Amino acid sequence: MTSSDDIEARLRDLGEFLDVPSPPPAEVARAVRARLEEPVPEAPAVTGGRGALRRGWGAPRAGGRARRRAVAAAVAILVALFLGATPAGRAAVVEILRFAGVELRIGDPGPLPSWAPRPLPGERRVTLEQAGRQVAFPIAVPAALGEPAEVRVGDGGRVVSLLWPGLRLDEYDGGLLPVYRKELGPPWPQETRVGDAQAQWIPAHHGLTYLPRGGGAAEARPRAAGPTLIWRRGQVGLRLEGPGDIGRALEIARSVR
Amino acid sequence: MESLRHPRRSPPTDDDEAIARSLAGDLDAYEVLVARYSVLAHRTAAMLGAADEAEDVVQEAFVKAYRNLASFRRDAPFRPWLLRIVANETHNLTRSRGRRDRLAARLTEAVPPVGEAPEEAAVTTDRRARLLDAVRTLPERERETVVCRYLLQLSEAETAQVLGLPVGTVKSRTSRGLARLREEVARDLI
Repeated sequence: MTSSDDIEARLRDLGEFLDVPSPPPAEVARAVRARLEEPVPEAPAVTGGRGALRRGWGAPRAGGRARRRAVAAAVAILVALFLGATPAGRAAVVEILRFAGVELRIGDPGPLPSWAPRPLPGERRVTLEQAGRQVAFPIAVPAALGEPAEVRVGDGGRVVSLLWPGLRLDEYDGGLLPVYRKELGPPWPQETRVGDAQAQWIPAHHGLTYLPRGGGAAEARPRAAGPTLIWRRGQVGLRLEGPGDIGRALEIARSVR
Repeated sequence: MESLRHPRRSPPTDDDEAIARSLAGDLDAYEVLVARYSVLAHRTAAMLGAADEAEDVVQEAFVKAYRNLASFRRDAPFRPWLLRIVANETHNLTRSRGRRDRLAARLTEAVPPVGEAPEEAAVTTDRRARLLDAVRTLPERERETVVCRYLLQLSEAETAQVLGLPVGTVKSRTSRGLARLREEVARDLI
C-alpha cells in the first residue's frame, strides 16, 4: 500500500537527487550582462512566433512607443556604461543580501583578510551534551561526519560550533538580527536547497565578522573564511565552512539529523 | 491541506533592493540577481523540456526579464515571475522545434549515508530511477504540474503562476498525476 504522503515524499526526494548541468552562475550573469550591454535596445522578439503576431507594426503610435523605448534604453545603457561598468564608478559593495542570519556584502571586498579564527565572546569548549543544555535550540549533527572532534559554545549560548578536521559547522539563533557578516567578491553566491529550505553556497574565500549579541562592538577586522554553505533549519541558522565543493557541502547538510 | 503542509517560503527580503537598483540601470545589481537564480532557472528549463538548449533559454529569459522589469509588481515575489518567463521561453522553443524533450535531468550517484549498506543504497537509487521513468511517462499537462510542485518544490500558487494556470487546475492535474504515479508504483512494487 502506498499512501499519498509516501508518493509525495518520494517525489521530493527524487528532486533532491536530480542533477541538471548548468554553467557557473557567475558566467551566466556575465553573459546576460554582455547581451544587455549590446547596443541593440529594441530588437523584434528573438525566439520564434511572437514577432509575427505583433499587430500595429508601423502604425504611428506603436512606432512612436518603440522609438521612445529605444531612446530610453539607449540612455540607460550609456548611463550604465559610464557609471556602472567603469572601475571608478563601481561601488565597493554592490549588494547586501541578508539570509539565514548572515549579512552578505557582495562587491569588491579588496584584499582578502589573512586572520585566523578567533574565539567568540565567552567561548568555551564543552561536550555535546553540555552544549545541548546551554543553547536554546536543538543542535543538528550531520550523520555524514559523525561525532564532532570538538564542540564550543559562545556568546552566552547564542552560537554552538562543531568542529571536525578541516570542517566547521556553526549553528546559531537565526532571528532577525544578523549574526555574521561576510564580505565577498566573485564568484557570486549560488542559490541551492537543503531539503525544503533555501540555501546559499558561497564558493569564494571571503572575510567573516561575528556580530555580537545585543549589537556590541564587532571585531575590527574580519577573519578569512573558506567556501561556505549557509542555510536555515527552522529558526536555526547554519553555516558549514570548509567543504571543497557544493556537492560535498550538500551531502553533509542533507545528512543532518 | 497542501498549502498548509508546504507553507509558502517567504522570498529573500533583498530581491527587492536588487530589483530597484536594476530598474535604475545598475547592471551589477542585476548580475547578482541572475547569479542567484541561475541554477533554479536552469533546473526549471531542463525539467520542463528544454534539454540541452536550457542554457540558451535561460539566457534569453534573463534578458527578457530585465527588459520587462518595469512590469514586475514590486509587492509580488520575484521567483515565480522569473520562472514564468523561463517556462514561456521553454514553451516557445519546444513549439518551434516541434518536440519536447521530457524532463532532462539525471540521477546523481548518491553517496550512501553512514550506516547504510551499499546494497541498500543501490536499491534506493534503483527506486528513484524507476520513479523518474514513471514521471517521464506522465501526460505532459500532469507532468508539468508534478515537476513544478515536487521536483522544483514550488507551492501551488507559484506553480499556477509559472505555468499560467488557475490554482484549481494545478490541483486537479497534480492529483491526477499523483494517482497515475501511485498506480505505476503499486504495479511495479517499487
